[in-house]
Amino acid sequence: MSPGITGTMTRRIAAVAAVGLALTACSVSTDGDGEAAGQEENIGEISMTGAGTGVDAEITQTLADAASEGEEFTATYTGSDSFEQDVIIQVEGGTPPDIAMFPQPGAVIEQAQQGNAVALEDLGFDIAELEAQYGEYLVSLGEYEGKHYGLPLDVNFKSAIWYNVPAWEAAGWGDPPTTWDELMALSTEMAESGTSPFCLGTGSDAATGWPATDWMEDIVLRDQGTEVYDQWVTNELKFDSDEIKSAASRFGEVVFGEAGGTPFVFGGNENISSTDFRDAPDPMFNDPPNCYMHRQATFIPAFFPEDMGLEPITDYNFFPFPDIEGNSGALIAGGLAAIFNNRPEVKTFLENYITPEVQCLIGSGDATQISGNVNVDVEGCYSNPIIQQAAGVIQDALNEGTARFDASDLMPPAVGSGEFWNGMNNYTDNGPDNLDDVMQSIDAAWPTS
Amino acid sequence: MSDTQLQDQDLTEDHGRQDDRDGNGFVVALLSIGAAIAVPLLLFLSLKFVLDTFSGLPDLVTAVIAILVGVIGIFFVYTAVDKGISKLLPPRLGDRVRPYAWSGPAIVLLTIFLIYPAINVIQLSFTDAFGDAYVGFDNYAYVFTDGAMLRSLRNTLLWIIVVPVFAVAIGLGIAVLSDKLKRLESVAKSLIFLPMAISFVGAAIVWRFVYSFRIEGSGEQIGILNGIWTSLGNAPVAWLDQVPWNNFFLMVIMIWLNTGFAMVILSAAIKGVPEDILEAARIDGANEIQVFWRVIVPNIMSSIVVVLTTMVIGVLKVFDIVWVMTGGQDGTEVIAERMIRNMFTFRHFGRGAAIAVFMFVAVIPVMYINVRRFREEESMR
Repeated sequence: MSPGITGTMTRRIAAVAAVGLALTACSVSTDGDGEAAGQEENIGEISMTGAGTGVDAEITQTLADAASEGEEFTATYTGSDSFEQDVIIQVEGGTPPDIAMFPQPGAVIEQAQQGNAVALEDLGFDIAELEAQYGEYLVSLGEYEGKHYGLPLDVNFKSAIWYNVPAWEAAGWGDPPTTWDELMALSTEMAESGTSPFCLGTGSDAATGWPATDWMEDIVLRDQGTEVYDQWVTNELKFDSDEIKSAASRFGEVVFGEAGGTPFVFGGNENISSTDFRDAPDPMFNDPPNCYMHRQATFIPAFFPEDMGLEPITDYNFFPFPDIEGNSGALIAGGLAAIFNNRPEVKTFLENYITPEVQCLIGSGDATQISGNVNVDVEGCYSNPIIQQAAGVIQDALNEGTARFDASDLMPPAVGSGEFWNGMNNYTDNGPDNLDDVMQSIDAAWPTS
Repeated sequence: MSDTQLQDQDLTEDHGRQDDRDGNGFVVALLSIGAAIAVPLLLFLSLKFVLDTFSGLPDLVTAVIAILVGVIGIFFVYTAVDKGISKLLPPRLGDRVRPYAWSGPAIVLLTIFLIYPAINVIQLSFTDAFGDAYVGFDNYAYVFTDGAMLRSLRNTLLWIIVVPVFAVAIGLGIAVLSDKLKRLESVAKSLIFLPMAISFVGAAIVWRFVYSFRIEGSGEQIGILNGIWTSLGNAPVAWLDQVPWNNFFLMVIMIWLNTGFAMVILSAAIKGVPEDILEAARIDGANEIQVFWRVIVPNIMSSIVVVLTTMVIGVLKVFDIVWVMTGGQDGTEVIAERMIRNMFTFRHFGRGAAIAVFMFVAVIPVMYINVRRFREEESMR
């Protein structure tokens, strides 16, 4: 090897070595800060992290400011798109944030299992009091071995069926259906008139299939009620059971339904998984519309066609997913906060943060979250009329105990973010005769240990 | 990596022979290890000293100091160790120990960032979802029995065969044809080479538009493929849903990206074929096709092998295209996609690691071919 090459290589090695060691050095120095933060005294600063960025981050900071007003501390929220990886690194590295707002209850339980999160009981929270604010169900989501580790935050509403108001009125479809039978009767009528009742697209890149799981969850919740739903989430009740297959067949009524030669789903069942969920509602706004209804969570208006200047209430609106067998409910998703540092000001801050007065601010901006606190004044707090409507449904459901968290997010990821999606794609693509196979394949993916 | 390993090996061999002569192998080995650790250790200690002294400063300042100390310090440390060897050891012994002092940081870095993680992954591949309990070969059984895994193995095998073959064939064709062009050669080649500059994710997004599909009757098709297809009077097709053809639609992207690479290397190789051989063949009555197959191709065979093996390794790792386009849905799974999916979506560390080990093992034969060919070429010089 020539001397010239050796020289270059040495320089390269030297540079790499220096950078590597410099990085080691940085992590060493931050470790020092972490030790100081572990002490149980007021240090005047509270750090919050979460997955929300942009308008969501602004709202969270507004709430945090309101919760620390007049107190001897300040709270800073930092949102990150890669929050779920970042927070693990911070926790493992010994520098956890004081409060981490996890978008999934499972992640909070994981932190509790590993002994990183502080239980609400240990912070001095009265669980009964929390239940009076948030309802038993939301509080129970953060429960692990008898203690509670997740403080409920905001939720969003999934059980919405959107419709194009002018088209709906022009066609004279009347009042939105309130029961499944009414919905099916209306769908038949719509299809017979030559237009598909539903737009449905479950394409979502690497997560294709999740909108269909939401449909399933909405139906299971109503077709079978909350008890079966909870058993289903923990796999006490298999996918391949009569209860869940009954719900799936109802979903099949929509997916494979047709009347007068027009399919219930625009484009037919074979195009459901190849239509992106973001594009799926678009045909509803064509003139004439290609469909009249679209079931999706409250975030979807952000994906409605931009250039049409669509206004809530006048141009589009939603009605809650109809009751089945007399059961109503609300499918929700949302975050739980895990607390990592037991300091007195963290508790004071959180107590302030969850009051109805502070939570009220959640509806003041452009964000689409809804407070999980059932004492928030719906009419006074939510500036967006659509969100106000959704908040009303959620509060009723939380009070009645019929609100349920997105099941696929509660199931182990191999099922909830894997085979459940695949199974639904297989069902919508190749069903309805393959239902037994689909259900068995989802059950088979359930982790055994 | 292979370079360093080879070099290492050579050094060890030399070393062994000399040891037999001198009979002080143990001392040399001990001194060599000491020398190899010396530079990284000294640098680490000096950095630690400086940082402990300046602790409490803002992170950014600490980082700047650390980099300064690291960069300047390394020259001093190297000089000191080198001088130390010259001063303290007899010249012959010093000459033998010195290479290890210089390659020390490389060895240490390689150990920390390559060897240690590799061993760790192998260990992890025998554990359960959380990396806690050992489960024997269960994860490997999963690799070879799970339906999606088997599809991914089949698809990856297809990728390995189809992509390099087509990319090389098209690249070679263009290289030969553009070689005959007088003026426009560079323009033609630039156009073909252009996709090389696009990242896999970028290319996948571009091709998502190409394959874009909208349900018939809901408006204009924005994808060029469906645009053409429907203008011919056909109903729009959801290309990426066409099992099993969707796999080939994805491979087209990789071929599109890699043809430029093959073309550039092979074009250079073709230009390296001596003109007199071609001349001789033509005088002997060979037509152009015979010249190509019997003279050019055998002459550039080693370049073709390089391009093929490089591509096979790249294709074995293909992930971005599949992840962005279909996410492995509709029977388009590939091994790397399964690995990421198991590791990060399903959070089953054991299975993820087992797939990683499998991929690593699968690359070894290709690496072996590459290294052997490299050695052959080196020995010819």
